[in-house]
Amino acid sequence: MLEKHWMGHQVDRSICAWFWKQAHPSERQETIQVPTVVAAPTYYVLHIVREGITFLACAKTEMPPLLGIEFLGRVADVLTEYLGGLNEDLVKDNFVIIYQLLDEMMDHGFPLTTEPSILKEMILPANLVSRVISVVTGTSTTLSSTLPSTTSSSVPWRASGIKHAKNEVYFDLVEEMDATVNKDGFLARCEVYGEVLGSSRLSGMPDVSLTFTNPSILNDVSFHPCVRIQAWESNQKLSFVPPDGSFKLMSYRIKNLKNTPIYVRPQFSSGGGVVTVTVMVGIRANVGKPVDNITLQLVLPPSVASSDLTANHGSVLPNHTTKVTTWTIGRIPKDKAPCLSGKLQLEAGLERLREYPTFLVGFKIMGVALSGLRSDRVDINRVDYSAYRGFRAVTRAGNYEIRS
Amino acid sequence: MNADNRKGELVDLKSQLRQLAGSRQPGVEDIKRELYKKVISYMTIGIDVSSLFSEMVMCSATSDLVLKKMCYLYVGNYARGHPELALLTINFLQKDCHDDDPMIRGLALRSLCSLRVKNLVEYLVGPLRSGLKDGNGYVRTVAAMGVLKLYHIAPSQCTDNEFPAMLRALLLNDPDAQVVANCLCALQEIYAAEVNISPETALRDREHLLSKPVIYSLLNRIKDFTEWAQCLVLDMVSKYIPSDSDESFDMMNILEDRLQHTNSAVVLATIKVFLHLTISMADVHQQVYERIKAPLLTLVNSGSAEQTYAVLSHLHLLVLRAPALFSNDYKHFYCRYSDPTYVKKLKLEMLTAVANESNTYEIVTELSEYAANVDVAIARESIRAVGKIALQQYDVNAIVDRLLQFLEMEKDYVTAETLVLVKDLLRKYPQWSHDCIAVVGSVSSKAVTEPKAKAALIWMLGEYAYDMPDAPYILEGFVQNWTEENSAEVRLELLTAITKIFFKRPPESIKMLGAALSAGLADAHQDVHDRALLYYRLLQQGVEVAERVVNPAKQAVSVFADTQSSEIKDRIFDEFNSLSVVYQQPSYMFLDKEVRGPIELVEDTGLLPMGPTTTDDVLPSQLVDANDNDLLLGPSDKEDSIVAASNGSHAYNGPDLSGFDSLSAPQRSQSAAFPTPTPQVATTPAATSTSLLDFDDLLGLNTYDVSTPAPSSLKLKAKPSLDPQAFQRKWGQLAVASTVDHTLANVAALSTPQPLIRHMQANLVEVMASGGKAPTFKFFFYAQAADSPPTSGFFLVELIVNTSTASSQVKIKADDASLAPHFQELFLATLGSFGF
Repeated sequence: MLEKHWMGHQVDRSICAWFWKQAHPSERQETIQVPTVVAAPTYYVLHIVREGITFLACAKTEMPPLLGIEFLGRVADVLTEYLGGLNEDLVKDNFVIIYQLLDEMMDHGFPLTTEPSILKEMILPANLVSRVISVVTGTSTTLSSTLPSTTSSSVPWRASGIKHAKNEVYFDLVEEMDATVNKDGFLARCEVYGEVLGSSRLSGMPDVSLTFTNPSILNDVSFHPCVRIQAWESNQKLSFVPPDGSFKLMSYRIKNLKNTPIYVRPQFSSGGGVVTVTVMVGIRANVGKPVDNITLQLVLPPSVASSDLTANHGSVLPNHTTKVTTWTIGRIPKDKAPCLSGKLQLEAGLERLREYPTFLVGFKIMGVALSGLRSDRVDINRVDYSAYRGFRAVTRAGNYEIRS
Repeated sequence: MNADNRKGELVDLKSQLRQLAGSRQPGVEDIKRELYKKVISYMTIGIDVSSLFSEMVMCSATSDLVLKKMCYLYVGNYARGHPELALLTINFLQKDCHDDDPMIRGLALRSLCSLRVKNLVEYLVGPLRSGLKDGNGYVRTVAAMGVLKLYHIAPSQCTDNEFPAMLRALLLNDPDAQVVANCLCALQEIYAAEVNISPETALRDREHLLSKPVIYSLLNRIKDFTEWAQCLVLDMVSKYIPSDSDESFDMMNILEDRLQHTNSAVVLATIKVFLHLTISMADVHQQVYERIKAPLLTLVNSGSAEQTYAVLSHLHLLVLRAPALFSNDYKHFYCRYSDPTYVKKLKLEMLTAVANESNTYEIVTELSEYAANVDVAIARESIRAVGKIALQQYDVNAIVDRLLQFLEMEKDYVTAETLVLVKDLLRKYPQWSHDCIAVVGSVSSKAVTEPKAKAALIWMLGEYAYDMPDAPYILEGFVQNWTEENSAEVRLELLTAITKIFFKRPPESIKMLGAALSAGLADAHQDVHDRALLYYRLLQQGVEVAERVVNPAKQAVSVFADTQSSEIKDRIFDEFNSLSVVYQQPSYMFLDKEVRGPIELVEDTGLLPMGPTTTDDVLPSQLVDANDNDLLLGPSDKEDSIVAASNGSHAYNGPDLSGFDSLSAPQRSQSAAFPTPTPQVATTPAATSTSLLDFDDLLGLNTYDVSTPAPSSLKLKAKPSLDPQAFQRKWGQLAVASTVDHTLANVAALSTPQPLIRHMQANLVEVMASGGKAPTFKFFFYAQAADSPPTSGFFLVELIVNTSTASSQVKIKADDASLAPHFQELFLATLGSFGF
């Protein structure tokens, strides 16, 4: 456990024990069972969980909850970026860095700098590179001696004087499809949440613009602070001076999609304490690229005592404690339609299945944004070099569930 | 590691550090660093390493920044507990404050301010002053926050050195946005605390902070601020009241693009500003809802699970306020399999709220799917949700079909919830009895185990005995199992149902009635016994008499009571973007009393109400009547109205908040029966005011002198509502209507302002602010004439009491100067009655 106090009074560590007890009422439950904001006897406790690490914040007075949650999230992000991951050992090994970071990220309970690119100028990450530098140069500081000039720059997310040997900028269009198919097989809802993730290694102060061929399909957008919203509103163009390194340029939502790329057709018939199951999976609409990594998680109700399911394609892995059976299909073969079939044995005394299992579907499509959003062009202005520009798209299943 | 071992290690570390202290060998820094790391890691896991303090400080003479930082961290952690040792650090920290490297200057200043040792404050003032004037923004940023830290240790030192004024200058002029943000943050906190000490200047300063030039200078450079500073600025802007609607529109135009910020905290803070700006412009308010809908829906569905919940809570609030605006977005509130139970619950409530003629079918279809959910709590909630939608009467047929489906599922809890639902439906829509009874008739009474469901089934059997041929026989089964029936609720219902069935079908039920009554009379439960006895005696008076009492013609229930009053909802809405929204309770219901502090000047009435607030429909506008009522009402009702009379100041007046007594009940304690106005008691005004009056009752001295103002032609409003900004405005604008110097023998015993405040509140004069220490107290009161519109008819009073000379000075200002003499008479009479 690592703690940092910003206010005058010390927060008693017992709050953590209290929280832990609330969060894990029984030994068995692994996931935290309390809402993200709870009132403890002495404090209001906000928490988030990232990679199995719990970040707790205590507040004594009324405050905007999202400020706390966003800040904790940012702490987690910055630590991940600094430590190259997030786990218990990394935190333990690097607590000095973490203290330094926390010191710069907040003062007296008020968040200060959380932009990783700026923090990096104040506190060098303890990665291999800086270790090599310190060995080679003989200086053993993890801290640059100059202060970031950006604290007074008009572009707070970017330092001046950045230099890269090779100039390149990449954009990833990542979409997640959320869909719910109800008992009757209707698509109850289907939406796409997308993000444009940028990764910039450009020298100087480049001015980048990015356009889409069909921006009108976007229902709601939000932007990184670097994006000039005026330009977006007047001609749907993303115009910005990018931060150095990785950043989330924009996120968007597209609602009311009419179709999902694959179909799942479950059938259950029960009688005499046994349920016969058949599930068919196939391609519904060709999106131009192959659908990969198809998985199907069958969440069985507690009343199912045992299951015996086999598939004509892919592998079936039952988990008897969680009652989740995972069917890994991969790519749909050309010659046959994948089918999962078998029987479920109900607990003694039950005739029919009364709760209906839910299927969680996973898939991935490389090279295509399912919403149909397409980038038009990327321009880099105000610099005297030509840079490599890359653009990729990928679609994943987000929360895609089929009720039966 | 056991204790001895650890001790040994610490001694070891100590000697190693001591050796290194003076050493200038090459490589010594690396060794030091390792040692420091060890010390810090001990500190991190909670081992007390304060015994190394002097050695740590001795080694801190270094140019290595990381070493310095570790040392600062160590010092900051232990200085407070060891002030004598902290003195050792002052020297090197002060020296570092003049380092060439701005980073070191800033860090040293931050550490210096974070020592928080009172007797070291004198060493702080110099570095802080030069820090605020430092050429580097980073140092100024640290210094601005340092001023706040200084204020928390030694408020007078801070104000005496004119630090707030320096911050104010920086706030408007500093080129570095982060400096401005920190100044703002510090100033807000200082002024909020300062009001307890010198209310008048602090109020003026706060007003200055909320003045047009300051707000506009911040708004115009909002994009320069970091996202966190933007939140801070937006929060302040939400308190600003623009002079006209044009200004509101200007502000919204400036801020509109903040809605597209990637940080949800910024989006929410912006939404709060928008909602507050338009609260009095109904049509624009609606447009604002339309505008903020999309970003909120995106945030709810896209962010991390934690964010989802917090945003959803806010959306929930908006949906319940304006369900019609969200009726097309109902699909967003469909539950996902992976949602935690608390998220699903919110979504179910929202689905219920947005149901209307056009979407009921789809929503009910969706809800019905949840009834088969593995999560039993959600299955139950969703059936209740179907019930609530049914009570809104949009699509009767569809819903009756669903009920049939639910019962076919043959799950105990589904059946149970469905029965309760059908009972409620019948109470509201008796005309559906035919359809519903057909459904209920198919339920086997043995399958029903839950008390609530059993009671519902029994009620229906009794009520619709004509339509269900075998009703008496089913009930008979229940009577035979009387002794095994654990729930008093069911036994009570059974008595009533059997008595009702006796009126309708006497031959079949007379025997059963006898059995039930005798079982009831022998029942150990008091209510059951009493009801059996009551029915028995009624029947002795004749069957017709009994029927008139037990089973009169019923009126259908038109509206079921809402669990949360609209006043509470309004209050929560007022606190948009705060924890109260997540808890679904206004902050006064959960905020720690200690945190709220004693009733001093209230920083923001929206956030920190004076005391438990409640209003009561039966509350008369004159306390004279309230006193009369006291004589008539039972003890619990009386408590209600007295609590209501001690109504704190708040910006909203809404209808009755019922069920308040359950909240105030635990606050009353026997020990508080005698009014000793200690500060602790003072934090629970409801408790003391209640007990005060109780005490008066005991002595037979019920506050009759309170009624003396009654003959006056002026009547005061029971629930005046004035927010601090409005108070300040009025105080500034209005002329003094009258000034009275006055001798008050009864204030001599006053040691804290609270008793007088409570006394005035009990007489419909509300307090806006109070302060001072014995012997001089200062109060700002306000009251409003009855029957005046919400924004006028106010009386504002400044009262200065000197307890040593037993004198007071009253300054009265009034919206309507002609009423001022009447008010003065009333006010002085009320004041005169204090303490008797």
